[in-house]
Amino acid sequence: MPCMPETLVATPTNNSLPLKSGDFATLSDALNYAGDGKTGCNFYSGRGKLAHALPYSGLREQAQRLAKRLNSLGLPRGSRAALVADTTPDFLRFFFACQYAGLIPVPLPISIHLGGHQAYVSQLRRLLENCQASIAMAPDGFEPFLEEAASGLGLSLIGGPEVFASLEETQEPLCPLASHELAYIQYTSGSTRWPRGVEVTQSAVMANLSGIIRNGLQVRSGDRCVSWLPFYHDMGLVGFVLGPIASQLSVDYLSTRDFAMRPRQWLALMTKSKATISFSPSFGYELCVRRLGEESPEQFDLSHWRIAGAGAETIRADSLLRFASTLQASGFKKEAFLACYGMAECSLAISFAPLNQGLDVDLVDGDWLSNEKQAIPVTPTTTDKDTIRCSSFVNCGVALPGYEVEIRDTNGFAVGERHSGTIFVRGASTMSGYFNAPAMTQEVLSSDGWLNTGDIGYWINNSLVIIGRSKDLIIIKGRNILPQDLEFMAEQQPEVRPGDSSAFSVSHPEGDELAVMVIQCRESNSEKREHLVNRLRSLVYSELSIPCHIELIPPRTLPRTSSGKLSRSRAKADFLKRVQWEELAALSNIHT
Amino acid sequence: MATNPEILSQLFDILKPFAKEGQRLREETKLVAELGLDSLQVMQVLLKIEDHFDISIPLNNLPTIQTVQELVHEIETLVKV
Repeated sequence: MPCMPETLVATPTNNSLPLKSGDFATLSDALNYAGDGKTGCNFYSGRGKLAHALPYSGLREQAQRLAKRLNSLGLPRGSRAALVADTTPDFLRFFFACQYAGLIPVPLPISIHLGGHQAYVSQLRRLLENCQASIAMAPDGFEPFLEEAASGLGLSLIGGPEVFASLEETQEPLCPLASHELAYIQYTSGSTRWPRGVEVTQSAVMANLSGIIRNGLQVRSGDRCVSWLPFYHDMGLVGFVLGPIASQLSVDYLSTRDFAMRPRQWLALMTKSKATISFSPSFGYELCVRRLGEESPEQFDLSHWRIAGAGAETIRADSLLRFASTLQASGFKKEAFLACYGMAECSLAISFAPLNQGLDVDLVDGDWLSNEKQAIPVTPTTTDKDTIRCSSFVNCGVALPGYEVEIRDTNGFAVGERHSGTIFVRGASTMSGYFNAPAMTQEVLSSDGWLNTGDIGYWINNSLVIIGRSKDLIIIKGRNILPQDLEFMAEQQPEVRPGDSSAFSVSHPEGDELAVMVIQCRESNSEKREHLVNRLRSLVYSELSIPCHIELIPPRTLPRTSSGKLSRSRAKADFLKRVQWEELAALSNIHT
Repeated sequence: MATNPEILSQLFDILKPFAKEGQRLREETKLVAELGLDSLQVMQVLLKIEDHFDISIPLNNLPTIQTVQELVHEIETLVKV
């Protein structure tokens, strides 16, 4: 008799267990409980077909068996296991096997850059070195990159899932990571050159998950999640891998690459699974609108979508509202938008706007805000376009219970209502530090537990309004890029000396960000100058896959602070004085 | 390995809208460095290729594809399978 393939069925929305809202001491406790129910996670192909269904019961069993195999390696407790994080069941198996085996999982990015072989291998190598990994796993097809990256680093074991599957199971009982131990190390997307691995303890991530599940999302039975966010990002990992397990919800995954290629699959999957919770940075909503084109919104049913979260980069209200109006006929409600604020250094979330109210946009006098650091509300009727430049920011709501938040001025004093300053937070879910980087930790984390988020914002009542990520960070299509990374590439060129370049981003009137690098250049031969610009632009493309506008200026013309440091903000202001909006729009057209 | 002329010409058609004004596409054209495709445009190109040739390009093959010619070879291999 021919062997009939088993028909795959996605895990159900309704569970056989009472909902527990993240009240667990550790991640393994959370999976132990979820594994008693029927829910689980499901992986869909880019063409919308269910490829794998993994109930949490199965995940628990497989992760425990794999943990026994990992234990046969005899690694010291707390050793790091680097996991190249593709959207696959294997990532979850390994992540939780580490939890059961007392190893610290470290999710690593998966490259989807054309022609980025060398850059990807170097990035992996820097991360493996930084976290001092003892073992490393890559999904099928990615082992060659990992092996190349790890060569000579002396890891105990490197390979695909099957290499680990062939280890012998040990007989000793498992001793999972306890609440005072680390849960994982999360690399922030900030710098590829100088990686920062955020150490998150079990108690920190569990505190954050409880806050998210209970207060932020108010998860209830009948909820179901959909996510295409990468597993190596905080929102993808904590929000949509650990969150669903800690609240026993079924979740449907689409890989990030499949979403980027076919954004409509996100909406199709929401329709098919009647999901209620899904998050995206602003650019994800934009991408849907742009690619849907003439497609009819009626083919989707988004009426079950009760929380359409937005975060991970500055929230662009107009993009989100365009999404809502484009998809109105599908039953999408703009009240579903939920603005939130957070960062990997706080496990994930710091604050959430109130549910079911949509976006609350604060319109303020932009010039007054930049010059006087005060957010003075303006109403559209009082806005005289010739005299007032309006800026709009999204209210990100009240901090989760357990957090203290202060907004401080440049002298370190807490400011009051509608005064802008740097956001500082302290609470149970902040990181213990950057792994193996005491100096970097000291820069942002005080001895009494206050974390400098580097973000700028202001208060309205008890709600946080975020003006922007740390003023130097370049955010392009949801990716954080450190200006230092761009400047480093410039300084690798023979024509450019250290301190000769300054990188920043400018936003053009339509809201897109463009990376700009201004370089002091002694070369006068125009052909050679053009050669430098082209070479550097290609290098930035191949390393970071972003367009970058490069401008050469005469020596000793980059602005410096009184202490002699380069000032990126002043270099940007000077650049904007030289360039008109029309030119800028044209520049972005050339580059994108 | 010779470049399959049919696939090449179909690929040129797919890539043309992404070329800058006056830019001539050649077999040696580098997709990212010269054509200037950003990560989302790469996805758009891949989508068109996958739909046109009815193939699925494995993610792990992308990092080693730099030029138009290398992309043609990748397509050719997948079409044969």
